[in-house]
Amino acid sequence: MMARVWDRLARLGQGWGGLGLWWLLLAVLALYPYIGVTHLTLFLGSQVFVLVILASNWNLIGGMTGYVDFGHAVFFGIGAYVMGILVTKSPLLISPEWGFLQALPVSGAAAAVFALLIGLPTLRLKGPYFSIAMLGTFVAMREIVRVLRPLTGGGVGLNLPPVLNRLGDYYLMLVLMGLVVSVMWWIRRSEFGQSLIAIREDEIGAEMRGINTTLHKILAFMIAAFFTGVVGGFWAWQNTFIDPDVVFIETRTVEMVMMSMLGGLGTVWGPPLGAVVIYVLQTVVWGRLFGIHLLALGILMVLLVLFLPEGILGMSGRGGSTSLGRLLGRIRKRAEP
Amino acid sequence: MTGDDRPLLEGRGLTKRFGGLTAVNQVDFAVQPGEIVGLIGPNGSGKTTLFDCLSRLQRIDGGRVLFKGTDITRASPHRVARMGLSRTFQVIRVYRKMKVLDNMLVSRRWRGDSYLRVMRPSSAETVCRARELLEFLRIAPLADEPAGHLSGGQRRLLEIGMALMPNPDILLLDEATSGVNPTLIETIKDHIRTLNGQGKAFLLIEHNINFIADLCTRVYALNHGETMAEGTPREIMENEAVIDAYFGA
Repeated sequence: MMARVWDRLARLGQGWGGLGLWWLLLAVLALYPYIGVTHLTLFLGSQVFVLVILASNWNLIGGMTGYVDFGHAVFFGIGAYVMGILVTKSPLLISPEWGFLQALPVSGAAAAVFALLIGLPTLRLKGPYFSIAMLGTFVAMREIVRVLRPLTGGGVGLNLPPVLNRLGDYYLMLVLMGLVVSVMWWIRRSEFGQSLIAIREDEIGAEMRGINTTLHKILAFMIAAFFTGVVGGFWAWQNTFIDPDVVFIETRTVEMVMMSMLGGLGTVWGPPLGAVVIYVLQTVVWGRLFGIHLLALGILMVLLVLFLPEGILGMSGRGGSTSLGRLLGRIRKRAEP
Repeated sequence: MTGDDRPLLEGRGLTKRFGGLTAVNQVDFAVQPGEIVGLIGPNGSGKTTLFDCLSRLQRIDGGRVLFKGTDITRASPHRVARMGLSRTFQVIRVYRKMKVLDNMLVSRRWRGDSYLRVMRPSSAETVCRARELLEFLRIAPLADEPAGHLSGGQRRLLEIGMALMPNPDILLLDEATSGVNPTLIETIKDHIRTLNGQGKAFLLIEHNINFIADLCTRVYALNHGETMAEGTPREIMENEAVIDAYFGA
């Protein structure tokens, strides 16, 4: 009974119904600012949207393609710095308010180009070697940014013009989140997405059956980097200040991994769900654990890997491959006649 | 090779070394269109390595491979697959978490489509062909199961189905009968005969001598990476060197 409900939900999620429900949710969120909210809730809203975008993008390379990227925040950082440099140094921007929108796609494009350059060597590596190479890339990029003082301001950082538009930020991130999740939904259904999952399951098998694995991996990596870069650019603008230590922080990657894992690796709706759950946990629970919230994050990650490696949406009816899934299966079996 | 009947797949002086070990040494062979050729030899004689070289999974250290007259010695594996060479694996490679049907769908013929095509779900024809093949292999009732739930024999059949999806000109089957029950072996034999009737060539690695004897027109016997004998199955089974290699002199 429960298993059948899960199956039907899964089919709904992959079908047009899933996308329809998603757009319905977006419409509701679009009306949200009109029911009397403060600047603070708009700001918090745009932050949740950012987390959903980051988790969904990490999932494309980490969950669907199976390349666990422990340095994905490098693309966030590149996007942030491209935004910072363009806004403060480029004479090409029309005005502080609108120049930001001009620079946003450039942030994404820069991250995508970097993904191409770094992906060509690193995506040849398998398993933990790729993860470590990306972590190395991330750390190296932080130091490069620190050293390139004339361009990046070095350790002192860059101050961006403070332009406060909470409503604009809210809608911008709402639209981007809507787009990103729709793109992921589309990819998951397409032959491209199926090929990515085949690569995750058996890369040699996929290559030997005519899938151009290099091209697929690079493309997935570039898409994931593009949107992460856009979000990085947005973050720099919203934060109005960037330096290597606030932009390139490891926990940003860790968060992406955790949100994807908690929701369900390789699924479309898992990472957004995971992002919301983690955000709520962070604000409601860990707000009270001041000082040890990183410890709580670490413990949660260990628990996740041990008991829920396939995430909330991974505990589908039949999936008895996780201990929690097995437990739930046993309870269900007892409940069923 | 006489006349102008060009071999479908041809190896000339193929050599593969692993460090100091020469796994395949100066092997010449050819498979004609529509032929079923067997490849036998004791364990470690280089059969699978030869397969890996032909399907371009392994880098080739010497010699050349020609497929349909094109030199594929340095081609990438996916390109060779797209040209019409399919293979199965000694250690089964299926996409365990994907459904059986989806395993089939992503193994379709990729050749000749624009890249934008892959941004859409599988076409109706692809789904239709996948279902037909699953029917043909008698595993259609399992279409919606994850491939990881299948038994070893069923996975072998699924692998053969995946290899058939692109409608290849030649199939390289690496121990297709190992771990498969005798009834299913007869089924696989029937399938090979049917497909051969449709013009497909086969290259089979087998330890099951009856299987080879029933199907193949020609057999190559390898030992220590070298061709030890070539001939009809009967000739090979009566060959002194082959008997020595298998049972010890």
